[in-house]
Amino acid sequence: MTRLTIDPITRLEGHGKIEIFLDPAGEVERTAFQVPELRGFERLCVGRPVEEMAVLVNRICGVCPEAHHMAAAKAADAVYGVTPPRAAVLLRELLYSAFFVADHTTHFYALSGPDFVVGPDAPVAERNLLGVLQRVGSDAGGRVIEARRRCHRVVEIIGGRAVHPCTSIPGGLTKGITPDERDEIRATADRMVDFAGFSLDLFDTLILGNPGYVELITGDVYRHETYSMGLVDPDGLVTFYDGQVRVTAPDGTRHGEYPPADYAEWIAEHVEPWTYLKFPYLRKVGWKGFVDGPDSGVYSATPLARLNVADGMATPRAQAAYERFYATLAPSDGGRKRLVHGRLAMHWARLVELMYAAERMAELVADPEIVSDKVRTPATEVVGEGVGTVEAPRGTLTHHYRTDARGVVTWVNLIVGTTNNHAPITMSIDRAARALIHGGRADQGLLNRVEMAFRAYDPCFGCATHSLPGQMPLEVTIRDAAGGVVDVRRQHC
Amino acid sequence: MSGASTAEAPDRGTLSAAAATTAATTAATTAATTPATTAATTPATTLVIGLGNPVLGDDGVGWLVVGEAEARWSGAPGVAFDRLAVGGLTLMERLVGARRAILVDAVVTGLDPAGTVRLLEPGTIPGRDATHLDSPHDVTLRTALALGRTLGADLPDEIAVLTIEAERVGEFSERLTPAVAAAVPDAVARVLALLGDR
Repeated sequence: MTRLTIDPITRLEGHGKIEIFLDPAGEVERTAFQVPELRGFERLCVGRPVEEMAVLVNRICGVCPEAHHMAAAKAADAVYGVTPPRAAVLLRELLYSAFFVADHTTHFYALSGPDFVVGPDAPVAERNLLGVLQRVGSDAGGRVIEARRRCHRVVEIIGGRAVHPCTSIPGGLTKGITPDERDEIRATADRMVDFAGFSLDLFDTLILGNPGYVELITGDVYRHETYSMGLVDPDGLVTFYDGQVRVTAPDGTRHGEYPPADYAEWIAEHVEPWTYLKFPYLRKVGWKGFVDGPDSGVYSATPLARLNVADGMATPRAQAAYERFYATLAPSDGGRKRLVHGRLAMHWARLVELMYAAERMAELVADPEIVSDKVRTPATEVVGEGVGTVEAPRGTLTHHYRTDARGVVTWVNLIVGTTNNHAPITMSIDRAARALIHGGRADQGLLNRVEMAFRAYDPCFGCATHSLPGQMPLEVTIRDAAGGVVDVRRQHC
Repeated sequence: MSGASTAEAPDRGTLSAAAATTAATTAATTAATTPATTAATTPATTLVIGLGNPVLGDDGVGWLVVGEAEARWSGAPGVAFDRLAVGGLTLMERLVGARRAILVDAVVTGLDPAGTVRLLEPGTIPGRDATHLDSPHDVTLRTALALGRTLGADLPDEIAVLTIEAERVGEFSERLTPAVAAAVPDAVARVLALLGDR
């Protein structure tokens, strides 16, 4: 068997690699995606008061500390059996919405932008944010920087720090916000709604106006018909901070809907001998391998999955964008919603969510109770176990803690956003490889196209400060059956 | 100890006219119950930043070195110290307003023994390699700096990068390995030498 290795020459946490095994005819037989797992987080947590977790878990991930902070805060609420007052919930969700705006903005312009705005076949040196701005104008760069700065400021106002928030405690928050701070956030929210509209218009013009890109989004290379997962509110609409977990089958029928605390009844984990990564799957469907279809328990939890499971968006302009998304990519079948399965549609879905997050900011900050000083319900008992679930930008995030009678952590279990997507990511890489490798030779576009496959998921494997870079350093080595190197290609190295 | 100090309470920087002031510092936040408030101080002309994850073993050595350097700093004005777990655009945004930056970071090259301290050539910013200067969900610092300059940001003319070869970065821990811990005094001395405060 010929082994083709795509080996990221990376650093620290991210020593992952992709191995593509070819059959004697030089066609792809199977693909393995390997990344190392960071160890010892549970040991770091055990013995600490559960109220420290919301601050400590910021350190799991340098990319989405706000998501871990919120999941931990909600789990700690549950451990103490305490419900935060409405004002605290409003403020937490406001912070979280601002985080989503900043995160989705960065991903679209810095990571997916080079693929679509610059183009997948453009020279590597141009496939970056600067290349994007050369095509769309530096004004967009200024707007990106402004969006990040303003949203980080919102996180700082509510969360106490701009990067790693620290104000959530069991039962609510340590502080509220002043009317002046409310006014500042209101101005930001209005700007972010404008910015989200600008971004959706940009997508319309540059991507939907290009038949080649539309083919890339709707074609088979990046298409997988798996189950979809995401949180929905009581009306069945997309929500990030709180809701029920809904799972939908590839044909759009409902697989189930459950409270996050019941996750273990619905999700199981498959183990492969070639990787430390675990592959979550739907317990009631079962693990059938890395395959699509309703009989396979593989699911994805992504921006696209969230749109697929929901009945719509809770804000008007996001709803309009949602309707256009489905009308364009999967026109309804006799009034029945059809799901979108092209994984590169994830980038568009992310912009629909960007609009929702911005509009949600505006809604929340307009609530008169947002400046209430009743932001904490005192905790008076220890239940001893709690689950907290939010939608992280890259998927459903669950923190589950058990404590002793004093509230000291004795056990933790985390299912992070990207973990949900391990199997689909592996499948997407495999699909891209099969389309591009024939007769033992890799197509010249292999590196870009394989990168695009996993970048669509915005994966975060290390859940540490840094992991696999977005522009992944790749080294592809093609070996003959005797192990000899017949071709080596590199980029981002 | 003096100089502006933050421990994970960074102002994320700005490209606005207020950049020079806001990039200088914010007040420290040390506990969940004492959220940070922004403190206006004299803008720093030199910014010393420890990069890394403080609970990921040797990955946190940059934080430790900068903390020690700050503790030993003579207190001359115009120097700010910070510890961050960010890269790319966010790091660039933090540098706005400074004339000079010294970045201290863990590195895994596999080419040097653990604990080796190296000063990268002044003015050279590593691209996609073994440091924390870029992030998986961001652009490289080099690209971020180019972007910032394109947009007219007031960014440092000189950026020095001090690296410490790490040994164990795959396991959550608040302890350094012995070889890396032993390198801390040398790294601290190098930082102080760069500041002209031997």
